[in-house]
Amino acid sequence: MAHQKPLPRPDADTAPFWEGCSEGILRFQRCLSCGHIRWPASFLCPECHATEAAWEPSAGRGTVYSFVVYHVAFDPGFKEDLPYVVALVDIDEGPRMLSNIRGCLPEEVRIGMPVELLWEDRNGSRLPVFRPLRAC
Amino acid sequence: MHAVGVLEQGLCNYVAISYGHNPLSSGGLKSVFQERAGNEAVFGQFGASAGYALAARRAMHEFGTGPDTWKHIAVGQRKWANLNPIAMKYKEPMTFEDYFKSRWIVEPFRLPDNCLITDGGRAYIVTSIERARDLPNPPVLILGMGQHNPSTDVQQANHLAGPTGAKKAAESAFGMAGITTTDVDACQIYDCFTYTVEITLQDYGFFGPGEGQEWFEGCTIEPGGRMPVNTSGGQLSEAYFMGLTPFTEAVMQLMERCGPRQLGPATGTRKPEIIICSDNGAILQTHTCIVLGKD
Repeated sequence: MAHQKPLPRPDADTAPFWEGCSEGILRFQRCLSCGHIRWPASFLCPECHATEAAWEPSAGRGTVYSFVVYHVAFDPGFKEDLPYVVALVDIDEGPRMLSNIRGCLPEEVRIGMPVELLWEDRNGSRLPVFRPLRAC
Repeated sequence: MHAVGVLEQGLCNYVAISYGHNPLSSGGLKSVFQERAGNEAVFGQFGASAGYALAARRAMHEFGTGPDTWKHIAVGQRKWANLNPIAMKYKEPMTFEDYFKSRWIVEPFRLPDNCLITDGGRAYIVTSIERARDLPNPPVLILGMGQHNPSTDVQQANHLAGPTGAKKAAESAFGMAGITTTDVDACQIYDCFTYTVEITLQDYGFFGPGEGQEWFEGCTIEPGGRMPVNTSGGQLSEAYFMGLTPFTEAVMQLMERCGPRQLGPATGTRKPEIIICSDNGAILQTHTCIVLGKD
């Protein structure tokens, strides 16, 4: 029997984020007072504490800030993925988010590497992951 | 620090600080990782090893550290454990070759870069100097304390490669004690991972970014070394009891109750007058530095 990977658990702050994901749109909150784009999702701006914000789409490009390669499955649902990469990605619009790097070997990942968004389906949910940016 | 506060306020006369757990035999830690993981779990991110590994990888990029530095910490502390009959790794020596042959857990961490999972416990008593002088063992004095908690989650933190909370915590503790690094005889450093030891000692001022490998070389932290670190084997080679692992070892060493691993002539090191201890919380989110000394 295949083990299930965990699914997103939206809460009041993150529900719009995951709704965007289900539509294939990566969105972050932009503070309507100071313009800061924030992640994680929050009811107020960490820079100026204003509450007014708008969810705006991201171009889905960024660079790798750090990364690790899992060689051990802490959850049996990930055993088939080993070895897999978890990375911190600096999104061009400003926020930094944790995700996976797909589409290359783990040993090819570099800090500073440009990456682009890739959608991954999981049991009806869509997860935003990243792959090395492809030259046109 | 809390204990000192309630004692000074006269709320009590003795504070017992203890820790006990059985994660090795009960498998309890696994469910903790899965329950706490939150939305990171969907990306396969679990636990402290990966969190610190993200920090360590960033440090490799920023100032050129890596396994060639961390091997000294893993192997050096193992030598202390090999002198400690109650250490989990008492009968398991480790060479650099053993270190590099060990399996990856979350790269860049191999198995020996991670602290142990241990069944057991530890405790110590904090009281006034007057009452301590009246008790059977020689008193150990708290000369300085400091705390700094950057608290930002590892996913957004910009201090992964330092300075971490260790820097300001040490400035406070060393300042209170009136000491510098040259006054320190030994260090008991919270060593959840080898990188934690490096970044703590770096932020405390023992060496600069990227100078760690050279500082550790030549058996610096080992028996016979000029700056013993984690003289029970630490969380890496003795046992994981959170901050009580480093703290109780510092106390026992200053009380001269450590037998074959006692700092002093028995181990070719300085007889300790001043030992510094560190404690960490979460992933580089909280830090405490305590300076202990003989009466």
